[in-house]
Amino acid sequence: MFVIGNDSAEKWEVQLRKGCLELAILASLWGGPLYGLEILRGLESDSDLIVSEGTIYPLLSRLKSLGLVDSEWVESEGGHPRKYYRLTGPGRQRALEMSRVWRQFSSSMSKLLTPLAREKAGKEK
Amino acid sequence: MKLASGSGISNDQTLEGQKIDAYLEGVRRELAGLSAGQVADIVEELRGHILEKTVLDGQSGLETIDHALAALGSPQDLAAQYLADDLLERAEKRRSPTPLIRGLARWANMSAAGALVLAGCLIGYFLGGSFMLAGFLKPIHPRTAGLWRLPGDVYSLRLGFGTVPAEGRELLGWWMLPMGLVFGAGLCFLTTQIVLWCAREFRRTAAVGRRSAP
Repeated sequence: MFVIGNDSAEKWEVQLRKGCLELAILASLWGGPLYGLEILRGLESDSDLIVSEGTIYPLLSRLKSLGLVDSEWVESEGGHPRKYYRLTGPGRQRALEMSRVWRQFSSSMSKLLTPLAREKAGKEK
Repeated sequence: MKLASGSGISNDQTLEGQKIDAYLEGVRRELAGLSAGQVADIVEELRGHILEKTVLDGQSGLETIDHALAALGSPQDLAAQYLADDLLERAEKRRSPTPLIRGLARWANMSAAGALVLAGCLIGYFLGGSFMLAGFLKPIHPRTAGLWRLPGDVYSLRLGFGTVPAEGRELLGWWMLPMGLVFGAGLCFLTTQIVLWCAREFRRTAAVGRRSAP
């Protein structure tokens, strides 16, 4: 019998998180333009995702080259310009589509996992 | 607001400023190959990030700068992510090996993994190209071009230049023409796909952590 060890479970979790990163960034831009550090902070506080700082900027640059986000330099009070990112039309479309798939998938998975959750709750009692 | 497409390096003479400049200069150097505008854009964004991080930490000083720079990773690792993206974008836009090899050469310059992928890519294209060439040349050199088995169980792919090898046996005959072309093209295609997969995997090594349990 094949048993998934802790290591494999961790690797699976890392892959799962990586897979969600694009959706998480698009979703964090849904409310309006943000710059890199704001996106990082938002992901940290609103989700369970902590993205390394050296990862977010290349990723934003890729989303831009894919046409999903657009960017604009804006002067800040601190004296240094900030690069604000905003969703483009195709970016909004993509976010909506990904979010639809996510909700559908997570609700069907939750249904499938209900007996496991009951089992765990029973053991805890 | 548009940034001037210069180096993006300031002339801050304080020790902290010099440290940031040295880091950004490292990033800029590693990004060689991207357009000057792209490089200036990236460097300015990183500068803003570093400066704001130090302000947010409420302290200044070399230690805070070190902390901010360490969180971004080494200039090589940071630049490699931009370059891998650029490589993929170019390769996917133009299905030709030239931008792929050029991008790989830059990647190879900065990491052992890149060098390994470049070596694999060159070997794959070389073998694929040789099989295709042998297939093309079969009608021109019908007696000598082909896959030969030589004494001592040595296999040799010959383009047909030179004489018939003594004690050798040609294995494929006229099948060399279609098989050389199909196998060679397949090998080139497979090489491209494997290289693109490696670059995607490299890009996916993005570090995503989890908030530690309270």
